[in-house]
Amino acid sequence: MTEAAKGQWVLSLLSLSFLGLGVAFWSDLWGHTAKSPPIPLLDTNFISTATARMSAADLVKSGGDTSDFDCYACHERNKPLKLKLNDDGDVVVPKEHENIVMAHGRHHRNNNCFNCHDETNLELLQTRDGRHLKIVESPALCGSCHGPTYRDWEAGVHGRTSGYWKRELGAIDRKVCTSCHNPHAPAFPSRQPAPGPHPLHPLSLSARPAEPGEK
Amino acid sequence: MADANLPASGPASGETSRRSFLRTSAVLASGIAALAASLAPLRELTDYTAVEKFFQKHYKELTPDEMKQVLERIAREVEKQYQVRPHVRDYKPLDGVEFVYCLNLTRCIGCRKCVHACVAENNQSRDPEIQYIRVLKMPHGSLDVEKADHNYAPASVPEKGFFYMPVQCQQCKNPPCVKVCPVRATWQESDGITVIDYDWCIGCRYCEAACPYFARRFNWTKPSIPKERLNPEMSYLGNRPRRQGVMEKCHFCIQRTRAGRYPACLEVCPAGARKFGNVLDPESEVAYILRTKRVFIQLKEEVGTSPRFFYYFDV
Repeated sequence: MTEAAKGQWVLSLLSLSFLGLGVAFWSDLWGHTAKSPPIPLLDTNFISTATARMSAADLVKSGGDTSDFDCYACHERNKPLKLKLNDDGDVVVPKEHENIVMAHGRHHRNNNCFNCHDETNLELLQTRDGRHLKIVESPALCGSCHGPTYRDWEAGVHGRTSGYWKRELGAIDRKVCTSCHNPHAPAFPSRQPAPGPHPLHPLSLSARPAEPGEK
Repeated sequence: MADANLPASGPASGETSRRSFLRTSAVLASGIAALAASLAPLRELTDYTAVEKFFQKHYKELTPDEMKQVLERIAREVEKQYQVRPHVRDYKPLDGVEFVYCLNLTRCIGCRKCVHACVAENNQSRDPEIQYIRVLKMPHGSLDVEKADHNYAPASVPEKGFFYMPVQCQQCKNPPCVKVCPVRATWQESDGITVIDYDWCIGCRYCEAACPYFARRFNWTKPSIPKERLNPEMSYLGNRPRRQGVMEKCHFCIQRTRAGRYPACLEVCPAGARKFGNVLDPESEVAYILRTKRVFIQLKEEVGTSPRFFYYFDV
């Protein structure tokens, strides 16, 4: 084969392969890598800054229904209340108050309504040292037993805060005990966790080692 | 004879015949076509890097006037992409402030609300997903991150026998990520926040490898944020939308904390486990915690990073 014919071959092969590549690139022959299924948008409840519950003070501030705190709409003034106790010495919660779960304290020691409520005026609270407090002043009542926690709360270290850490620039919003704790059953409620990190590969979830205690 | 008038069959030395010219041109033209076609993915490129962005100086060298132009450019780019006019600012560190974070492991219930409040506040990519906070679930009685699980998904938390430890950027006093950056795109500011200039980052991921806390995230692909979820309150070193190929990480919500507010992860925590403030102010919550609480864990204390993030237990 002469030099000229060889060159002709090489050049025509080159131009053919170039054209082929051109067509392939243009028509996106290889395509893109397969897309993983889209990640669903987060339920905005998981980013809500609302507290676990609403305190009486929150309720008054937000203009909500405060009829629950109007004791004398049903009870009669100056008529002493008698608590009904069962055989174990626990208070029997009357039907009218069936939304109340008595679960404050362990070993059934805090089972008397009038440990905290004032028996002579139901709209007031009473501490064990004889102070009378309004419902919205409940932190002082909680603090009369839970001293260290109350001290931490006063320092801003226990409980929910929002707003400004720099007080000169804006106000700090402090929540009270009953904004998070139900006074009748104060253990912090469990809740559904927000979705975890999205696995990059479906295998990464199944391949993880079982944790202790997991079936 | 007519033979003399026929063109020579091969090219005379130093001359180009019509045939070889056509042949060479065909190869050249097809080559150019192939090259053009191979650049076809560029058709999808819509956000051409502006010339001004290319010539933009390092953050620390920008004059106030230049910074104003840069912020204007960012606002323009965001508006073009998301049809939302953002409020982009460059927050400087406050005088006499050193931020410290304290997290009460007794209170944390592992609900991961902080993870998602952070994503919402800081304009992280939703798909692919980038999260700055990783909540580790560990069995009681140990603090062994090797035994930790971050993929837990029970019906409700907390689970019996476990505790939860959210881990995010620890804002180290001695940050290994800053040391390894070859272009000084990340540095520690006077208030203790380690920041990243997303316009200066070259995406080499050295910092990601250097961080002992897995706190840094890389934008492997183009980040995507739904328009309606975009937070328009932005800062240059903080939550402005990132581009593909840059690192990002927790910056203590610079756009909130340097304006005097609490970080987003703190405000959303239902259990009040997170506390934040200026440790130089003896009246602050964090100073109170460091003074009065007994047990502190600086995660991986032994590696000498000296985190500004303290974990503690109480009753």
